[in-house]
Amino acid sequence: MINFDYLATLDFSVPWQYRWQLLQATVTSLWLAFIATVVGAVLGTAVAIVGRMKFAPVRWLVLGYVEFFRNTPLLVQLTWIHFVVPLFTGINTSPFMSGTIALTLNVTAYFSETARAGINSVGKGQWEAARALGLHWVPIWSKVVLPQAFRVMIPPIANMVISIFKATAILSILAVDDLLRVSSRIANLSFKPVEVMTAMAIIYFVVGSLITFGTGKVEARYGPREGK
Amino acid sequence: MGFDWSILWQYREPLISGAITTFSVVLVSLFFGALIASVVCAGSLQKSKYLRAPARLYVQIFRVIPEVALIFWVYLCLPLVLDVRMSAFQSGALAISLISGAYLSEILRAGIIAVPKGQGEAAFALGLSALPRWYKVILPQALRIVLPTIVSFLTELVKMTSLLAAISVGEMAYQANVLGSQTFKYNEFFTSVAIAYFVVIFPITVLSRRLEKKGS
Repeated sequence: MINFDYLATLDFSVPWQYRWQLLQATVTSLWLAFIATVVGAVLGTAVAIVGRMKFAPVRWLVLGYVEFFRNTPLLVQLTWIHFVVPLFTGINTSPFMSGTIALTLNVTAYFSETARAGINSVGKGQWEAARALGLHWVPIWSKVVLPQAFRVMIPPIANMVISIFKATAILSILAVDDLLRVSSRIANLSFKPVEVMTAMAIIYFVVGSLITFGTGKVEARYGPREGK
Repeated sequence: MGFDWSILWQYREPLISGAITTFSVVLVSLFFGALIASVVCAGSLQKSKYLRAPARLYVQIFRVIPEVALIFWVYLCLPLVLDVRMSAFQSGALAISLISGAYLSEILRAGIIAVPKGQGEAAFALGLSALPRWYKVILPQALRIVLPTIVSFLTELVKMTSLLAAISVGEMAYQANVLGSQTFKYNEFFTSVAIAYFVVIFPITVLSRRLEKKGS
């Protein structure tokens, strides 16, 4: 079934020849994942805090945003932001811009759910004690609630980092020069799809495995301790 | 900025065929994904290292490499490596089945591990042979435990099918792209397709949350 005659002709010098382009594209993918993770974590926490407001319309707005971004495909959000939003705003965004915005909004929605669960896990007594001590709302959040919430949030965030890295590949459909898009261009250019795409898969596998290994270590070090 | 409903009606045929294609991909990859998952899960629960290691590697490969990258690999490379002809739909469905297999096998494995050991031992003590021990005692309990996770994976699966637009499988996201660029009515097509996805996925999410609450 496997075409060994073809496999014998494989020439892996082609991806090696393009190693710098592939490396640069890998860095772009990692950079996108990094921006989305950092901005998404900050905005997601903010969204979770705003989502607790007593004013109901704000709560509904937050709920609508989070549910919409969690229950539609990222690709659809991406094309929507790239093609439809400029019709309303009149501002055309580059694929990289639209891609970063869509990915960040998507990650923010997921993060806000994690942050919400983390904040809910902080006991009521903590709030009451902080208020009884006469703390203002800023230190209540920054010194009492969020530090405790973050510890609970670490395992889900650790899982999310690899999903975000994987999601960056979706941006390639919108002409963002990440690892996938650069690889398919080199594959077309060199007529060596199997060599180049396999090299790409290996790079994704190695980088992705390193990320899961790293986040696993972080989780073990800083995550909630069980049975202690 | 008006919203032209009539254009959706005018192009109802490609839109409906897109929805049917999305639905078919989900069904096909759920079926084959479940088949692959049972084999991989069985492998990863073995004591023998030589059966466990390939199963773990399979799961790792298909969970770590981005879905679109795998879809492209299957679409561009597999026909050359295996010397077969595959339509875009076939390669897309195959790629998503392989990915689903990896995720479902991990879900299933978690469920089987969560069944208390005493259950299997009690079944063994009652003189049940291996087959009824699995089908009547362990698997029904394992599936009940992971049902919410499987339902929530279903939402991921529906979202994943949109990626087949990248290899021009005529599913919903692809139709929106083609029709949008043909007619320049981006707003109508992209917005309605986004809403269509939401209408399909959101109820499944709600169901999975409800099941999760019931279980805990």
